[in-house]
Amino acid sequence: MTDNLSNFTSLPEKQLVELDSLCGWSLSLLELQEAQRQFSKMGRQPTRGELETIAQTWSEHCKHKTFSGPVAFRDGGKTKKYKNLFKETIVKATRTLNRKWCLSVFTDNAGIVEFGKSGKWGLAFKAETHNHPCAVEPYGGAETGVGGVIRDILGVGLGAKPVLNTDSFCFGYLDGKKKLPKNSHSPERIMRSVVEGVRDYGNRIGIPTASGGLYFDDGYLLNPLVYVGCAGLIPVDKIEKKVVPGDLIVSIGGRTGRDGIHGATFSSANIDEETTASAVQIGHAVNEKKTLDVLMRARDLGLYNAVTDCGAGGFSSAIGELGSETGAHVKLENALLKDTRIEPWEIWVSESQERMILAVPKAKMKKLEAILKAESCEYCVMGAFPGDGRLLVAHGDESVVDLPMSFLHGGVPNFEKQATRRKVKISSAAPARPASYGQVLKEMLAHPNVCSRHSVITQYDHEVQGGTVIKPLQGKYGDGPGDATVIWPQAATLDQHDFSGFAVSHGFNPAAGKIAPYQMALHSVDEAVRNLLCVGAEISRTAILDNFCAASPRDPEVMGDLVLAAEGCHDAAVGYGAPFISGKDSFYNQAKDADGKEYPIPMSLLISATAPVEDIRKAITMNFKEAGNPVYLAGTSRRGMGGSVYNDMAASGNNFISPLDIKAAVKLYSAILKAIKSGCVAAAHDASQGGLAVTLSEMAFSGGFGAEIDLTWAAREKGLSPLELLFGESPARLVLEVLKDKETEFLKLIKGLPVCEVGYVKEEPSLCVLDGGERLFWEDINALKNCWKRELI
Amino acid sequence: MKPKAIILRGTATNCDIETFNSFKYVGAEPELVHINQLLAGERKVLDYDIMAFPGGFSYGDDISAGKIYAVKMAKLSADFKAFIKGKRPVIGICNGFQILVKTGFLPENKANAQVSTLYTNDCGHFLAKWVKVRINRDSPCIFTKGLPEEIELPIAHGEGKFIVEDKKIMDSIISRDLHVMTYRSNPNGSMLDIAGITNAAGTCFGLMPHPERNFFAWQNPDRPAAAREAEAAGWQFFKNAVDYVG
Amino acid sequence: MIIEIWTKEKYAKNEERGFIGRLAHAGLKVKTARLSRLYRVDADFSRAEFDKLASKLLTDSITEHYSLTPGKNGLKNAYRVEVWLKDSVTDVVGESVKGAIADVLGKEPKTVRFGHAYYVPCGSELKLKHAVSKILVNEVVNKFSIKKH
Repeated sequence: MTDNLSNFTSLPEKQLVELDSLCGWSLSLLELQEAQRQFSKMGRQPTRGELETIAQTWSEHCKHKTFSGPVAFRDGGKTKKYKNLFKETIVKATRTLNRKWCLSVFTDNAGIVEFGKSGKWGLAFKAETHNHPCAVEPYGGAETGVGGVIRDILGVGLGAKPVLNTDSFCFGYLDGKKKLPKNSHSPERIMRSVVEGVRDYGNRIGIPTASGGLYFDDGYLLNPLVYVGCAGLIPVDKIEKKVVPGDLIVSIGGRTGRDGIHGATFSSANIDEETTASAVQIGHAVNEKKTLDVLMRARDLGLYNAVTDCGAGGFSSAIGELGSETGAHVKLENALLKDTRIEPWEIWVSESQERMILAVPKAKMKKLEAILKAESCEYCVMGAFPGDGRLLVAHGDESVVDLPMSFLHGGVPNFEKQATRRKVKISSAAPARPASYGQVLKEMLAHPNVCSRHSVITQYDHEVQGGTVIKPLQGKYGDGPGDATVIWPQAATLDQHDFSGFAVSHGFNPAAGKIAPYQMALHSVDEAVRNLLCVGAEISRTAILDNFCAASPRDPEVMGDLVLAAEGCHDAAVGYGAPFISGKDSFYNQAKDADGKEYPIPMSLLISATAPVEDIRKAITMNFKEAGNPVYLAGTSRRGMGGSVYNDMAASGNNFISPLDIKAAVKLYSAILKAIKSGCVAAAHDASQGGLAVTLSEMAFSGGFGAEIDLTWAAREKGLSPLELLFGESPARLVLEVLKDKETEFLKLIKGLPVCEVGYVKEEPSLCVLDGGERLFWEDINALKNCWKRELI
Repeated sequence: MKPKAIILRGTATNCDIETFNSFKYVGAEPELVHINQLLAGERKVLDYDIMAFPGGFSYGDDISAGKIYAVKMAKLSADFKAFIKGKRPVIGICNGFQILVKTGFLPENKANAQVSTLYTNDCGHFLAKWVKVRINRDSPCIFTKGLPEEIELPIAHGEGKFIVEDKKIMDSIISRDLHVMTYRSNPNGSMLDIAGITNAAGTCFGLMPHPERNFFAWQNPDRPAAAREAEAAGWQFFKNAVDYVG
Repeated sequence: MIIEIWTKEKYAKNEERGFIGRLAHAGLKVKTARLSRLYRVDADFSRAEFDKLASKLLTDSITEHYSLTPGKNGLKNAYRVEVWLKDSVTDVVGESVKGAIADVLGKEPKTVRFGHAYYVPCGSELKLKHAVSKILVNEVVNKFSIKKH
């Protein structure tokens, strides 16, 4: 290998590719040749450290080459060309909307929007994935995923204080009998370990894990998805950061070790049996908590000019990013190490966890050191930002990297990806009628994608910081499934007389994505917005995050799904007036099973959404509150069973997905929000996974009340069957419990909209649903709850 | 003069700020103090009127919950003893209760030795949920004065199973009504459903549930429409401490 | 020196039951098992100092006891499975205990590693190994040994 490095610029293609795989860089031939060209131009051979730096900086994880690259999308006879798919869809929507409450979008580690009425605060929000590490070492992978996204929030602007963690997981079905390859873990073990990892990290660091989801599909058997998010509060005058030439480079928190080599390139490569141990790490939450405590104090005292997290690429990315204008001179021998058996270039690219990089003016170093010592937080001074625009990295006398910054951050070679629309046969025939709707409902409530998540949620400290006012589990027995979480960040603002809060929710629907990726994106944004509405959040101020996970982008159909979903994201964001403020993507979520069969994941788009809650005391929950209150169904029920949980349980013969009418939804939602804010609504719950029958059941058993429901006059598309009415998952619908003495006021507010009274809450613990004179089912709510309240782990 | 409350923290004491906020709200003058500051002599516990050990995962709860923090306190033991002996109010919430048990301050005993423990929950893992607890109104505890017989509080712990090996010690807890709080439906396997205990003076109190998380009615998971805008049961704990100091 | 911490038998039923259940899930049915926690303390301490660490720091005096050599467990025909993190993997608990030892003894050991031992009476080492790799260890980060006890 040393030989290959010493004549790198003249290596033929074959040897280049061999070198790449030997070193584990995951660079494409085009990129390798670009590196060759650059070093030829400089008239010298690269060092290992320089090639490692290039591999990290140009990796899929750091540069998002696929989503931000050129794409040719063939759809029937037409071809649409994108120069930068991400910019022309996701970013475009944000630019079009141009909301002035968006304080920072797509530039920093997280997006930032205005928070509260005081004008003093911003809310930073970010979600990430940590899929490949979780497939290999689910516990450590989940821990370090949580730790990583928290550091994104600590490293946004001059640092935000984390007040909420989110987690959404996708696994293969737990009871599956499929034979797995030797090197993979069973979904049951992956799930248990991932939950334990999120639990042990989030609980130890003292951030409530209070919002998320759980989704099962055998497409995730070999490639589990682990989405982790974090939201934090930042003073608006701490959003700008700028390294000043002469600032010291200070690394605080964890030490550097061999345990973090090659995470960035690892996240782009297919997993195989040779995946090395060093890429996988165990998290150290306590070290990160020390870092958090130090940062918050030092930030408020103005002790540093810039901060960023050591994530993928380690020092090379973090210091490279902070010094992209000033340059950076780094002395690797100053690094605090876990293990002395480590090469200089390994120190430079190691992704050891729990490290943050600060740019500290020399005059403030003493004060910073005092705080670091008071919090028992380790640190080292790694060098300085000189202002000459050069990246010079040395270990004693040995030069590890000597490159102009412009080379690293300049044009990464990229090539056009081919995309094509996936062919899916759509049947919109009338669905077959089951023998008993009541029986279907009971089975559906026990379905892994519908049943209670309490066995996961109760393992998380979802109330630490004392601000989780609308909880993931709510209602009379503290176990009802909430739509959105509302956070009152008293632990960040220190103000118990300011009732400003924010809500967070999610939308996720890969089952719809298998049939219609464009509609999937629309439905997912709709679901996220509707969930926010259900707690009474100010949805006209919704900000959203996109997290795409997909199989190999070398497959044109995967790229086609991506194009359609990204276009859906654009249209939904513009339609709902909800700008994207940050996003992330993860590709190559694909692996071979024991028989060599490829397992690609379905196109998976997680929409995370947040919106302000003006007065957290007025936010509402989803459970029925009082017998005698009328129940309303808002929204029109439409035809189609496509993507439904029912279709996963039984063959309805119909896989049509009803298109979303965004304009109608926006009009409906803004009227309902007015009704909620004027105190007319006692409970609201969206109809999503499992459809309307599940929504009604959950509202009933979470409140300990029954209900008499007659859907005869509910707004519906012509020809809708009872099955579609009860179990179809057409979007933009929610159920409302209206306060009896406020009904007149409510009716005024929703006049002319498809909001229909469908019954009332009653003491007697049974749920009875009629339609057109026929009783569809009559079930005891405790029996329904027993089906639903399963122990998943 | 506002009573001065010392909110003790260390690495990963996570509930320090909401505990700070709670004391501030009821009229105390709280201060967050790191154990390192005490060890370095920068602060002295005897300069304060009220002491709180908040919840969290001090030092990762490695070895066992609260153990490492308790070990660090050993060097300052005389000051802590004097504080408690002087009947100044001390509250240990969750991890704080674990610390008071591991240091031997609770249950109160002459040797100041660890005579009980808070062990791994019967379910084997961390558990966060709302529970109903009974308040022992015959107890001398100053923190629970004026509370109704039954209140709701959230728990959030992995090691909350209260165990006393020595029957005599348990008898003396019960006979003197030092068991301040018991679970209505035992979530962790605690002996006699015990959720919180006090010293004989009623001034040093440890409990597993989190009163600072049910401080306001809007923190309740049920949120009945009529009662969302008031202080809740947890508020009383903090108010009582401030009133006691007067 | 390896300090082994045992939960007293009367308090150990829950953890044992949980462990036996997970073994069963991996296809190995056993009726009993014992669990313990291991601290490998690499230091030139005296026996008395190790005893002090074990009793004052690492053992909960109410629910646990300790042994400085592999202790008796009352199980016949048992295998002892010892599980550690690989040396290259950060051992969070080990680091934390290292600091706490300094608080107790006033001097720091070179390294501390944290591990687990499982005592399982079972007929087939091969079956046990299979179950262990299915539920207890991940060879990416762990090393383990199985020995007749």
